[in-house]
Amino acid sequence: MTSSGARLESGSIDPPGLDDLLRRVARGDEGAFANLYDQLAPRVYGLIRRIVRDPAQAEEVAQEALVDVWRTAARYDPARGSVVSWVLTIAHRRAVDRVRAEQATAERTRRVAVADVAFDDVVEAATTRFEQQQVRRCLGSLTDLQREAVNLAYYRGFTYREVAELLETGLPTVKTRMRDALIRLRDCLGVSIG
Amino acid sequence: MTDIHTLSGAYALDAVTDIERAAFARHLQQCAACRQEVAELTETAGRLGGATATAPPNRLRTQVLAEVGRTRQLGPQRSARALAPAPWRRWTLAVAAAVVVLLAVGVGAFVEEQRVRDAQHQSTQAARIEAVLAAPDAVLHTSAGPDGTGRVTLVVSEARNEAVAVVRGLRSPGVDRTYQLWMVGDGRATSAGTLGTAASGGTVLIEGVRGQQAFAITNEPAGGSRAPTPPQLATITLV
Repeated sequence: MTSSGARLESGSIDPPGLDDLLRRVARGDEGAFANLYDQLAPRVYGLIRRIVRDPAQAEEVAQEALVDVWRTAARYDPARGSVVSWVLTIAHRRAVDRVRAEQATAERTRRVAVADVAFDDVVEAATTRFEQQQVRRCLGSLTDLQREAVNLAYYRGFTYREVAELLETGLPTVKTRMRDALIRLRDCLGVSIG
Repeated sequence: MTDIHTLSGAYALDAVTDIERAAFARHLQQCAACRQEVAELTETAGRLGGATATAPPNRLRTQVLAEVGRTRQLGPQRSARALAPAPWRRWTLAVAAAVVVLLAVGVGAFVEEQRVRDAQHQSTQAARIEAVLAAPDAVLHTSAGPDGTGRVTLVVSEARNEAVAVVRGLRSPGVDRTYQLWMVGDGRATSAGTLGTAASGGTVLIEGVRGQQAFAITNEPAGGSRAPTPPQLATITLV
């Protein structure tokens, strides 16, 4: 067992056999898709639920995202990253599209400016699993401002312009902050590609 | 470091508009170092996404598997990196990026509408729409349709003095009725065209956006009206 301070050995977080499963899905294997669903649906649903909030809508968006995975499975490129990240990128995009279409920017900005965007809120669902501990620990290594920028963008679906407005910061600063935060997280989580 | 390069973090977090996403994707085609960085940062963002796992309701599985059973799959996409970027190819990629934006805002209705028009007009119109979408100063506005049904997207380029309105998924305006688009400035509404009789969506190129303060949609008799009939069904404020 690895200690919580250790980095993951490999850049990939995919459970063994996941990329092979996706290759079979790409060839139209519905049984393989059912298997893939069982492995990834909780992560897809959990992320979408966090962003979209409303359970009924989250279910709808999760369905769209998971069917997208089936539809575009042949376009997954292992050179660009893990299967898990690829699937979650699809899920994230769908969720963000939904919240942006739903509400006018100004209204959303107002609502969240009032709401508390505490760090604990983001990781409340984090359990004792090693991977989640890692994410929690690494989020904790960011500066407050970096963490806020990542929270508002990734878990709330705001554009960097909206984040700049919420944090009352200039656009270049917000862009830099997001990039620096991800670079720090990347190094902390030991993410590597290729 | 160029300014667009610093967008890699926001891009990986999906914290960009559709327009910026297309522009940055175009930039990635020419920047191998950026591709590597974006791949790593996107992978990192994916780790954040994995930290919120929640068991979905059981019916989701049934619904998804049923939907999958009747959904056709797409073929593999050729990798842009596999080929040396010849100039014509870069141009194609730029257009492709613009088309991606167009897809994002609803190309379906656009294609159908255009199909019936003559070919020359079609290519001119499509080129102008692409030019607006790709304009460096393009600003994207979105609004839900009336009663939260459908979506209205407006891309405005002040520099080109043009805008593209993409309307999709509204309720039918009714038989012998049409949705009509308006630009409003200094208290005067100017027609920006109609979506066509009974159409619930479409794409319209709008000329003369400078000095306009708002964009609105109304439901009018087929053929459109000279002045908007209240109520305004969707409004986008431009300033």
